[in-house]
Amino acid sequence: MATVAQPKPLHHFWTSYWRNLVFISVSLQLIVVLSTVLLLDATEAISILSLDTWAIAGGIFVILLLLNLLILRLASRPLKYIITALSHANGEESRLKQIHVNDAWVQRVGMKPLMTFIHELGGGGGSDHAADGEDTTDVQARAIRFDEALESSSTGIAFLDSKGRLLFRNPAVPTYTETDDTPVIDVQFYNEISLSDWIRECEKKSVNAEKTWVRVASKPAGEMDRKLYDMHATYKKGSQVPVVALFVEKTSEYMPEENDLNFIAFAAHELRGPITVIRGYLDTLIDELEGDISHEQRELFDRLVVSSNRLSSYINNILNSAKYDQRHLNLHLGETSTLRIYGMISDDMALRARAQRRNLTVDIPTDLPNVAADPASASEVFGNLIDNAIKYSNEGGSVEVRAVAHEHFVEVSVEDHGIGMPSNVVGNLFHKFYRSHRSRETVAGTGIGLYISKAIVESHGGTMEARSVEGVGSTFSFTLPTYASVASKLEKNGGSNKTLINNHSGSWIKNHGAIRG
Amino acid sequence: MAIHSILVIEDDRFIGEMYVRSLIKEGYAVDWMVDGNDGLVAARNKEYDLMLLDVMLPERRGTEILKALRGGKENLVPNTKIIVMTNFEQDDESRIATEHDVDGYLIKADITPKKLLSIIEELN
Repeated sequence: MATVAQPKPLHHFWTSYWRNLVFISVSLQLIVVLSTVLLLDATEAISILSLDTWAIAGGIFVILLLLNLLILRLASRPLKYIITALSHANGEESRLKQIHVNDAWVQRVGMKPLMTFIHELGGGGGSDHAADGEDTTDVQARAIRFDEALESSSTGIAFLDSKGRLLFRNPAVPTYTETDDTPVIDVQFYNEISLSDWIRECEKKSVNAEKTWVRVASKPAGEMDRKLYDMHATYKKGSQVPVVALFVEKTSEYMPEENDLNFIAFAAHELRGPITVIRGYLDTLIDELEGDISHEQRELFDRLVVSSNRLSSYINNILNSAKYDQRHLNLHLGETSTLRIYGMISDDMALRARAQRRNLTVDIPTDLPNVAADPASASEVFGNLIDNAIKYSNEGGSVEVRAVAHEHFVEVSVEDHGIGMPSNVVGNLFHKFYRSHRSRETVAGTGIGLYISKAIVESHGGTMEARSVEGVGSTFSFTLPTYASVASKLEKNGGSNKTLINNHSGSWIKNHGAIRG
Repeated sequence: MAIHSILVIEDDRFIGEMYVRSLIKEGYAVDWMVDGNDGLVAARNKEYDLMLLDVMLPERRGTEILKALRGGKENLVPNTKIIVMTNFEQDDESRIATEHDVDGYLIKADITPKKLLSIIEELN
């Protein structure tokens, strides 16, 4: 037989096998009939020379041949069906008619499970479209397409080992090359556990785990070609590929928000420049003119200071609101006292009340339990509420700040005896840009202060509420969780609360903590 | 280590003059640079006890100066304290990266010259 370079299609076997089977069957039968004739001739039962003998022998041969072929066909039918099915499953084009799994005979002899199994081997379904181009791929071609799919996919897929080393990655995975040519995943984790730390943690205590990271960036903000991803990773201990990580690029979705925030950050930068100079020189002038100016002139200076301070805190409100709306407002909670938080702005508040002729009384007991708070942000809440109380009360009126301890919270309240509001207004107070009915005519303001204050308090895990009686006054109160009630949770989150550096969102100095102007 | 010499890198004339004026009045030896390149050169040429570094600077941003001085394997200014002073609200990630290499991070609008002097006093 001639050798062939290409592997033969599976169905060729059937054709040659059937041919051989028929040939052997015919030959054997010929031998049997001929030997019978010869034997009978030897016993002289018949004569080999008689025409009748050959007629009978021929008749028997033909009948036997028919019966034989019938049995042969029946006996080898399952084999034929299996080969046909396998041939189709392999995607070969053949003259053999494909056998349907619901074929009557197949069902009758109980071959259906076998046929179904073979059918599924080939990818199942669509039995009537076996000859379509889609199904005619062989196994090798399929593997190539899998690679192609990974190559062209915009979703990054990375396989990592238990040490966090890359086993495989497709081009959509952001990577950079180390000096020794090993590729490393190139995204930055700031407030969250990094992928490699997560894998390390999983190695220690998990069998199966998964985690999603939202909005991880390939480069720091402001750099060229910065891309933003949502990331998902799964972990399975002991598996050949223990970690599979997916990267979905969301740059176009997240970038506009980033640009908005950048715009506000740049605008705030511009506004803060002149304020720095105004506040700075006022401070210097008041110091240097001390003793040379009249009491009245000093009061005018105070008004300038109060106004520039307010301007500065409004800018902070705008920045924080923008960050909060875009989920960028990150608070770094740590153990501190209510008194210390208020201490950051107490001088400013006292001056503000004095300049605007309000009596500010502050009653914050020294024995209150410590709270878990971001001091700079929490002090802004104090500032906003007192600022409001001053705004919406009358000259000579009093503003009272109190703090009391409840079980797991410290409650701070700011009460004024000013113009108050009708009850239907109270519910809307915390909406951005909302101001009460009358305030629209009498007092200027953006209404952003209460909105961001509530957001900051709730980000601490506290609540804020308002009570008011029209013409009598309003009380705004908020709660901050005691440090003891959330300490274990904060420690578990680890990292960001441990070092002084990450402890504050405003100004800070190493070993001295937060600073407020 | 007591602080005597201070390098101020600040491009805003008014703000720079304001801080420099009160620092000199207080008896510090102050050099003032208005752009990032000059600032970096000054920091490399002379050893200062303290550097007040703005972020949004012409020629070379404050973060780049910081990277050049402390971002490599070797801290080029081991005896200098660095305080970043900015009015620019960096996003958290850039900010954390900046804070990693400095001794203080101040929002200028919150820091009057008097306040700055007391902060430097505290650093001593």
